[in-house]
Amino acid sequence: MNIDILLFPILLPLIFAVMGLFLKSKKLINYWAVLGSAAVLYCAYVLFGIKQASLVLPWLGHGIDFDLKLYGFNAAILLWVNIFTFLVVLYSTIKMETSTRIKEYYLYVFLTVMFANGSVLADNFVLFLFFWGGLLITLYMLIMLGNLNSYKTALKSLILLGLCDFCLLLGVVLLWKISGSLKISAISLEAQGLAMISFLLIMIGAIGKAGAMPFHNWIPDAAIDAPVTVMAFLPASLEKLLGIYLLTRISLDVFHFQMNSPVSIVLMTVGAITIVFAVMMALIQKDFKRLLSYHAVSQVGYMILGIGTGTPLGIVGGIFHMLNHAIYKTGLFLSSGSVELAAGTTEMKKLGGLMKSMPVTGLCFSVCALSISGVWPFNGFVSKEMIFHGSYETGYLIFTIAAWVGAIFTFASFLKAGHSIFFGAKSTEIPEVKENSWPVLVPMIILSAFCILFGVYSILPLKLFILPALSGHPEVLAELTFTHNLSLLNPIALISMGCLVIAFGLHYLGVKKGQGKAYLASEPVHNLPIIKTIYNLAENRVFDFYEQGVKLIKLLSKVIYYTVDRPIDFVYERVVTVTGRIVIFILRVLHNGRFANYLSWSLAGLMALGYVMGTLIKKAG
Amino acid sequence: MVILFIILPLIIAGLLPLLGKVSKKVLPDFLANAVFALLLGYSFNFAWNASAGKTILSQVNLAGIPLGITLRLDALSLLMLFTIALVSLGVGIFSVNYINQEKYSSKPIYYSLLLLTVAGMNGIVLSNDLFGIYVFLEIAAIASYALAAYGLGKEELEGSFKYLMLSVVATSFILLGISMIFALTGTVELNGIASVLAYSKAIKIKYLIGICSALFIMGFGLKSAIVPFHSWMPDAYSKAPATLPAMSSGIMVKAAGLYVLIRLFYNVFGITPAVQTVLMYLGVISIVVGALLALGQNNLQRLLAYSSISQIGYMVVGFAIGTPLGFIGALFHMFNHGIFKSLLFLNSGSIENATGTRELDELGGLAKKMPVTAGTNIVASLATAGVPPLNGFWSKLIIIIALVQAKFYIFALIGILASVVTLWYFLIIQRRAFFGKLNETWKDVKEAPFWMSLSSIMLALICIILGIAFPWFIRLWIEPAANVLVAGIIR
Amino acid sequence: MNIYILVALILFSVMAVFLRDLLKSAICLAVASIFLAVMFFRMGATYAGVFEVSVVAGLITVLFITVIALTNDDAKVPENKWPIIIFPVALAIFIIFDIWFMNKFIILPSKALPLLAQGEKFGDVLWGQRTFDLLGQIGVIFAGVFGVFAFFRRKTDE
Repeated sequence: MNIDILLFPILLPLIFAVMGLFLKSKKLINYWAVLGSAAVLYCAYVLFGIKQASLVLPWLGHGIDFDLKLYGFNAAILLWVNIFTFLVVLYSTIKMETSTRIKEYYLYVFLTVMFANGSVLADNFVLFLFFWGGLLITLYMLIMLGNLNSYKTALKSLILLGLCDFCLLLGVVLLWKISGSLKISAISLEAQGLAMISFLLIMIGAIGKAGAMPFHNWIPDAAIDAPVTVMAFLPASLEKLLGIYLLTRISLDVFHFQMNSPVSIVLMTVGAITIVFAVMMALIQKDFKRLLSYHAVSQVGYMILGIGTGTPLGIVGGIFHMLNHAIYKTGLFLSSGSVELAAGTTEMKKLGGLMKSMPVTGLCFSVCALSISGVWPFNGFVSKEMIFHGSYETGYLIFTIAAWVGAIFTFASFLKAGHSIFFGAKSTEIPEVKENSWPVLVPMIILSAFCILFGVYSILPLKLFILPALSGHPEVLAELTFTHNLSLLNPIALISMGCLVIAFGLHYLGVKKGQGKAYLASEPVHNLPIIKTIYNLAENRVFDFYEQGVKLIKLLSKVIYYTVDRPIDFVYERVVTVTGRIVIFILRVLHNGRFANYLSWSLAGLMALGYVMGTLIKKAG
Repeated sequence: MVILFIILPLIIAGLLPLLGKVSKKVLPDFLANAVFALLLGYSFNFAWNASAGKTILSQVNLAGIPLGITLRLDALSLLMLFTIALVSLGVGIFSVNYINQEKYSSKPIYYSLLLLTVAGMNGIVLSNDLFGIYVFLEIAAIASYALAAYGLGKEELEGSFKYLMLSVVATSFILLGISMIFALTGTVELNGIASVLAYSKAIKIKYLIGICSALFIMGFGLKSAIVPFHSWMPDAYSKAPATLPAMSSGIMVKAAGLYVLIRLFYNVFGITPAVQTVLMYLGVISIVVGALLALGQNNLQRLLAYSSISQIGYMVVGFAIGTPLGFIGALFHMFNHGIFKSLLFLNSGSIENATGTRELDELGGLAKKMPVTAGTNIVASLATAGVPPLNGFWSKLIIIIALVQAKFYIFALIGILASVVTLWYFLIIQRRAFFGKLNETWKDVKEAPFWMSLSSIMLALICIILGIAFPWFIRLWIEPAANVLVAGIIR
Repeated sequence: MNIYILVALILFSVMAVFLRDLLKSAICLAVASIFLAVMFFRMGATYAGVFEVSVVAGLITVLFITVIALTNDDAKVPENKWPIIIFPVALAIFIIFDIWFMNKFIILPSKALPLLAQGEKFGDVLWGQRTFDLLGQIGVIFAGVFGVFAFFRRKTDE
């Protein structure tokens, strides 16, 4: 049988996952994993060159086919998914070396890749859901590999994302009902009425996967409990790519909506809220990984805001930001892992002055941190500017302001992190540290290089990866010019730079107030009157709707137990079992072993049959 | 060479007792299983033909002279042949160790009887005339009476005797029905009957066909243990060697009972609402009564017999709906039930082989001592109860969807509730036989020998694989067979 | 004549079902099938008659009688007696129902009769040219013989 090349990104990881189970030595497994991810990456690269392909195999029937389709945009996503996988796997060879469950780890990683590639390529909603659901399970298993508490976080992620997936499923069913088709590329609807509900449901699935508020709560927990490579692999890169990929597809191809339509407002609101709240939480974190994880949530807000604007510039900005974010956030998580590997902790209080002993890590961190803060000329600057412009064009200034507020605090919190970990005075709490070996550093260096390249020469990624998303939308492309945000001298860019200056000022004040201790730099903001109470509530998880939901469900279950379950139990105990027992008793008495009786039933049955047949025929005839 | 399906087991059955003089154990083991495997492989030979919807009417020639034998092989009979070969292979492999027990002995004779049941069933399935069906029914039946009493204990004999008595009554009613059909149409060939009946519209004929239908439902219904004609089954199974119920409940009730019924009603007489209604109610009653009776049983094989009655009810209901989906569900359930129910019976044989008893009261905690038996038993139990993603789930689901589609909401609900009851009594088995405290008596118990375990694992694997790969299986085997039924009266 | 044979057939069948003693019951069954075989012969169904005598009346009965004789240890299974009346009642109702039902509907439609009008006997049409049954009967005889073997092996073993 001739295997279509489109099946390779799905089958290869599966083969590597299964074969990996048979390897004995740890070293061999590492080599195997690197080889595997490189192979899949090569495959994705070839597909990226092909650009156009499709494959339809009959599967379950009834319009549910094994339908894969490659076009410019998902080829780019596929390529990036596998680039990140390769880098994370390379990094894992050192970072996961001490883990005893390395075999399992790679198994889940490869399965994740398989599902991710499958959901990127799938062109049928059912097939898509199949792969998408698979990701949920591998995520659960990967988080479970973490420390002793990880099962709780894993469960949390499973429930939160399960909820999102359920919404997605509902949305797809509704969409099927409306459009009568399950082929993703064949559906094209105006987001109104029922279609809007369907859009919103699918959107919840997409942004939930990407980690937007209020479905983000598992990410900060996972940052502590799960292995850091898992964080870099899933919440930082793959899930962003997939979530925003889905959001892009549904908001550009499957549905379409106008600028400032209700759907657009909903998206922008979710985006803005996510930006502001998550960044506020990030600001006060004392742990490096936790801080990063809140930023991972906050940055999703930018992407959703960008896509939600409905303006060409905003959409392109949002998608570009997704790519940029995946690059620098993976880089940041990897650098935090590098610090953890060398120093044994990621608590900012204990760290300090690592720049000298770990120059490469420090440098990579700095590049990525400047990128995420949107400093010129790094890649984050370009995409954020595009989003600012896009949201400004909608006329709702409030969203632009929210984005700026986010920018201030993002920079402030990274100043704090960088200052307290890499710069400043050397800490005495940790022993002498050394720079890590090359498999840890290379991924970070590559990612930092991307940060700079995509910032300086932003036309390249835009043309190569982002614009294909808009293929089939010539009207959008026609309006698109990248000139005005590449020049620094326009009011919006100036305001953004002003934000950075404010952030710097804030940090300076904070350090001064904290008597030179950089990790206390955010305390002034933390201690502001009303904000402090809000923070306290947030720290106590009052806003965590998962925790609140668990409480509510516990209460509800108690109520239901006493008002519904007990009465039913009573009915069951007293009525059903007693009648059941009587019926069974009668039946057993009838089966007394005398075949004369058995025969009489058969005869009686025959008579009844004859009679019934007779009357039925009479009725019909 | 379609006739090979009948001739081969028949010849080997005849030769085995003679060959048994040379080699008492190894040769019979090998030959019988080789025949089953050969039949299984040979049925694949026709799979592509049948899935394309072709019907082979094979006229048998002996040295160029046509004999008066015509065999009908279409997708439906092929599915049956496949199921028969597969289950009998499982049973045959199991028997390699199982029949070494002291009370059984005399392997060549045992295998001859097993081969004869297979020959009989293959004959029923391939026969193109009613009287042929009757004759081959007798072969399978007589061989299975002998198998049911193979242990020669008092209760085994009594069970076998009841089986015989009731079967004789059933076959005489079948014979009566056949003679009436012959008197009516002047032929016993299936297509002949179909073409004569297709042109007779008189109300009298309808009544007569109605009476014949009632006779056939009673006769073949007794063979397939539909309530209220089911009562021979628990008695015949409770003491028989485990391979007999595995064979009988696994395939015989279907080949000798259900298959003939649906073949007659859908392909020969043409289905009428009257028959559909009757079958529907009989099926639902079987589901409920079987499930309820299974609950209170202590003897493992008796419990499984009642469970079979309940599961057969599902198939009857599926066939009675008369929609393509119903056929697919029922045929798929028929196949699945063949696999998992024979596995369950074989498991009870393993338990009996190890402990010497089948009474649930006396067992307990065997899972640690017999992990393979316990594991395969869990798979089979869950499959029977219809727990996803095992094969039984899909077939039951399809039947229930078909019920809902045809607007039989109450029956669909009953089907679901009964499957809950099924799960319940299987959990009871698990708890009482495999888990819980290990009964002190069984602390030296060992896992079943190699061939018995192999056969259990093979069947359990089929359950699991089909649970995942069911779309492909349905497309290759089930859908063509369902299309035969959908196509209606044969020409 | 036929009607007497029929009555005797039914009578012995009923006794076979009704008698509690397995041995007597088996003998009654054998006698009933002999009557059935006689009916077959009288109606020209030679094959079926031979088949009936050889297998049902002959082999099976031998099989059961020998085995029952071998294992008759008088250890009766305890049973509750109350439904003993059920079978006679059911049988009586069935016969009445049967006569009523059959009388009402059995009037052979003329369509099938032309086949018989060519001077053939009813039996010739039914039983002629039935090579397929020969195959089946070989199988049945095998089954019966092996059944007897199976049941006798305990004796030879002992």
